Amino acid sequence: MVLADSAVVTLALPDILAHLDTTVGWVAWVLIAYNIVLGLAAVPAAMLLRHPRARPQVLTGVGIAVFAAASAACAAAGTIEILLAARCAQALGGALALVGCLVLLVAEQGERRGLSTWITAGVVGTATGPVLGGLLTEAISWQAIFVVQVPFAVLAVPAALQVRHFTHPRSPAPADGREGDGEVITDSLHHRPAIRANLTQALLSAALTAALFLLVLLLVQGWRHSPATAALTVSVVPIAALAAAPVARLFRTPHHVEVAVGCFLVAGGLAGLAVPPSSNLVWTVAPQALIGLGLGLTVDRLTTMAMEARLPQATHAGWTIAARHLGVVVGLAILTPIFTADLADAEDPAQEAITALVLDAPLRPETKIEVAQALGAELASQDGQVPDLSRAFDRLRVAPDEQAATDRLERALTDQLERAATRAFRDSFLVGAALALLALVATLTHPRSPARKPATTDVTHPRSPARKPATADVTHPRSPAQRPATADGREGDGESPDSLDPERST
Amino acid sequence: MTPRWIALPVAAVITVAVVLGVQLARGGGTYEPLRPPSACADRTVDSRAEGLDGLTERLVLLGLADAACSLGVSREELTLQLAQQGPITDHQVDSLRSGLLAAVGEMKRDGSLPQASDLMDDALANAGLNRYLERAIRTLPDRVVDSAVQVDDVLRRAIGSLDLRATLGALDDPNELNRQVEGVVTQAVKDSLVDRIKGLLPGL
Repeated sequence: MVLADSAVVTLALPDILAHLDTTVGWVAWVLIAYNIVLGLAAVPAAMLLRHPRARPQVLTGVGIAVFAAASAACAAAGTIEILLAARCAQALGGALALVGCLVLLVAEQGERRGLSTWITAGVVGTATGPVLGGLLTEAISWQAIFVVQVPFAVLAVPAALQVRHFTHPRSPAPADGREGDGEVITDSLHHRPAIRANLTQALLSAALTAALFLLVLLLVQGWRHSPATAALTVSVVPIAALAAAPVARLFRTPHHVEVAVGCFLVAGGLAGLAVPPSSNLVWTVAPQALIGLGLGLTVDRLTTMAMEARLPQATHAGWTIAARHLGVVVGLAILTPIFTADLADAEDPAQEAITALVLDAPLRPETKIEVAQALGAELASQDGQVPDLSRAFDRLRVAPDEQAATDRLERALTDQLERAATRAFRDSFLVGAALALLALVATLTHPRSPARKPATTDVTHPRSPARKPATADVTHPRSPAQRPATADGREGDGESPDSLDPERST
Repeated sequence: MTPRWIALPVAAVITVAVVLGVQLARGGGTYEPLRPPSACADRTVDSRAEGLDGLTERLVLLGLADAACSLGVSREELTLQLAQQGPITDHQVDSLRSGLLAAVGEMKRDGSLPQASDLMDDALANAGLNRYLERAIRTLPDRVVDSAVQVDDVLRRAIGSLDLRATLGALDDPNELNRQVEGVVTQAVKDSLVDRIKGLLPGL
């Protein structure tokens, strides 16, 4: 829910705009505020959770409860200011809940399975957010998006509190059989954040903003589809994302190649969205499938790269959450001015195209004047948004012998508006594709370490000290850069957690 | 031996190339709003209307295009500028008047300008004349009417004396627009007839 909330309101923004009687600029902050706060709060939340005296069950429960209460406040908000404040509170609670869930999942299921579950939930949440938001907005209202989350979150609070066996990981016992010193390793071991993996993830998140945010705007605002139709259309992305894992297994691809291919597919998909041959929804399917496959190939792998064999794990989860959501903010910051400026620039060509069609229409002059007056009134009331011409034509009283020509004119004018809107989004999609290619470059420039040494320190799972974890081999302090092998024996990301420093505490 | 994983990037490149190739081949790069043709290009102007309405529509469309050509903008851009409630410059007014006069010449040259007798029914219906006078005029043979009233001359006089700023300001008010145009056209017909008579009787 927390990750889905990042984009869940996208399809509801027009309804929120109308209901709260605000401006486009303010309503964009419903998305931006949540992602900024979540991005900034993730690492501090992780530090709080791994404090030796902290009880992650309780903190996670508190985070979920805050998230639930803030969701209810979002639904009840009567002004944009209250909605934004509630979204910030939602993100604060969400940050604590998100990192806390990882800690509890690892405690319950072990590192590999817990991390895998957490990452999968992230991919599914990111990809399905717009779909769920669109369906709920269409079926009920924009408030339903937030109301629906409350009971699930409330049920999650006792579930978090019931994780009984949690203990902070402690340093292992020496080889001579004496007891360990009991030092909480989260305080003594500290790996540097995986900068490249997180940077790649941030760039990719910025690129995916174009797919998850701009595409739904194009569908609803530009091509005037209902939120439900838009939601069904963008469901291609999560479906394709689910297909990515079997594809990767089929080819047994190294991780960095998998990520590079994913970035390339996202870039290709966004380029495809930039050049549709018409406004027929069919033309969005193949590009979205490429984006979904790219999303599935990259997000979970990058998260794994950013967290695998790095301690403290919660902190690295915080870094990867921060990278992802601040990437969304960067994407919005880059793309929003581009597409709003392009949308404004598209007005003149669209008006000229409409004028040309009306002037040359096979209608009597008095009918043309009526059409022009109705269109003028409709265009004047749009306040920078793509106009709905059907309302202008509904008001016309046309002679029966001119009805067919008037209907043809309406279709032609609507086509011109769709062309103008599509053209207005083109540059933004291409910039999104460029961001995905930047992420690809960041992946391909990973340093490759020729030497690989076996791990020198095993950090065992806290619940079963004798069990050797699959991926938690930690390199020795001051050891040269190494590439830890991943659980399935394939190469790691080439970024070694080489800053292990027992003396440093974060 | 080529590793198996090579197939994934190769398949990705091929898939992206196919998707983009198909979209571009089906016109993906050119799905943009219609670009109006140059105002200076030759264009055929048709009208669904007949009589005075048809004449007026063709005249206005040709005049707009000519004015836009001289102003260096598209016909549609000029139309939008004139339709908006902003100030209209002297240059725009002069260009529009020149364009309308040029349109009269163009229609006369290509033979699309109707004879006065073709417009008489419409003109009399809107003139509000005494019914005896109207009946008397209707009894005149077309040849006499066409000889007495030269449509191009009447139009040039009307366009020359029309207050284009006031006319454009009345676009949203059909009654006011008709009142302005009828007044100018009626005066133009009178002036044209007087000048014809003067021409026939040089001593006057």
